[in-house]
Amino acid sequence: MNTVKSKLCMAYWLVTASLFAGAVVMVFVWTPTEQTMGVVQKIFYLHLPVAINTFAACMVTFIASIGYLWQRRQVWDDLAVSSAKVAVLLCSIVLLTGMIWGHSAWGQWWTWSPRLTFSLVLWLLYVAYLVIRPSIESRQRRALVSAVYGVVAFLDVPLVYLSVKLMPDIHPSSIGLAPEMKTTLLFCFLPVTMLAVGLIAARYRLQRAETLSMQEAEDPPLDTIAADPAGGFT
Amino acid sequence: MTQVLRQIVLLSGKDLRIEARSRQTLGLVAVLGVLIVVVLGLGLGPERVKSGMAATAVLWVAYLFGGVLCFEKTMAVERHDGALAGLMLAPIDRGVIYAGKLLSNLTLMLALALIVTPVAVVMFGFDLSAAPFGFAAIMAGGFVGFAAIGTLFAAAVSSTRSQGGLLAIVVFPVSLPLVIVSTQMMMRLFGEGEPLGAVGLTVLIAFDAVYLVVSWLVFELILEP
Repeated sequence: MNTVKSKLCMAYWLVTASLFAGAVVMVFVWTPTEQTMGVVQKIFYLHLPVAINTFAACMVTFIASIGYLWQRRQVWDDLAVSSAKVAVLLCSIVLLTGMIWGHSAWGQWWTWSPRLTFSLVLWLLYVAYLVIRPSIESRQRRALVSAVYGVVAFLDVPLVYLSVKLMPDIHPSSIGLAPEMKTTLLFCFLPVTMLAVGLIAARYRLQRAETLSMQEAEDPPLDTIAADPAGGFT
Repeated sequence: MTQVLRQIVLLSGKDLRIEARSRQTLGLVAVLGVLIVVVLGLGLGPERVKSGMAATAVLWVAYLFGGVLCFEKTMAVERHDGALAGLMLAPIDRGVIYAGKLLSNLTLMLALALIVTPVAVVMFGFDLSAAPFGFAAIMAGGFVGFAAIGTLFAAAVSSTRSQGGLLAIVVFPVSLPLVIVSTQMMMRLFGEGEPLGAVGLTVLIAFDAVYLVVSWLVFELILEP
């Protein structure tokens, strides 16, 4: 059973890597270079799919947090933290690619444009989610506080979006794309989404293993205690 | 309804009486707020201080840090001698406990604002007389949302070891929309001389409503003795 599972995993990652390779070929060989921005514009094919997947990962954290508050099962907390970690990683990529784009377009690494500010606040919200967890010792308490934060943080996202709308904007609101560019952009969603799903799944498996080993250390099985000559009180 | 209001006032009155007798929180946050204003004034230098607009940002920094201390202290009093367990055993709704704590926090933040705002107005040459009611309305809107979130998470992290930094890390990112909206509204009101728009105020009130409803709904889940 485990062999089948690991083979399926391997196949999944091979398909993802092949799709990424195909996307790179499409971006650099098939798709025309944009006239104004030049080759830097090609970062857009990574930037947008990663940004959309960041929201998806945040939504998984939100749903898992609600699941924990509803059922109080540890699996929900493990899923929430796994997707939050992936959300932070993806949001960091969004910020970095956005900054590279911004430096080329506006000559500055950072401008307080609404969308850059939005990405930064989103990143901060989920970094805080990860930072607070190790500070809480009790596993149940940690899961509970994280779940509440996961719900509030996701509900905060539309508020952040509304608030940054009040700021002056220099970010392009819509971009005219050639048909090849549109096709490439749509194709790029596939490997990026597969990568995000694969990372969440891999991280979740690791998180489950960590949780189960912690649980075993905290509550050893009765036969282990009985076998111990000190009766478990060492 | 009247009974619920009476319970809220009773709970809040208890917190404020403890504060009036111990004088621990307000003294601490007032000095912290003034220190923040002075340090930022020194850091920004005379040129940028004279622009006047820096005052609103500096005030927000003072309110945020002072507010977090208020939230911590009002929840910390319940940790002594199992007071929270007693409170939870009392025949009152958990929502009432939340509302009582929120009212205590808002009162303390108002007191903090009454001390720190005049200091910043004088030191930063901020012309508050241009729109005093607009300023009060924006700050009140910001305070309600900030205190709503702060009260919720103070209860959530109060039973953990590292309360200090932890509460700030939790509350600050969540409160950023309020800071962005209120500073943008302040800039329009004082910088560009635009009157207080209904759109901005509606956004602020909507934010407050979202924070209040969500906090009130989940408060019951996280309250543990």
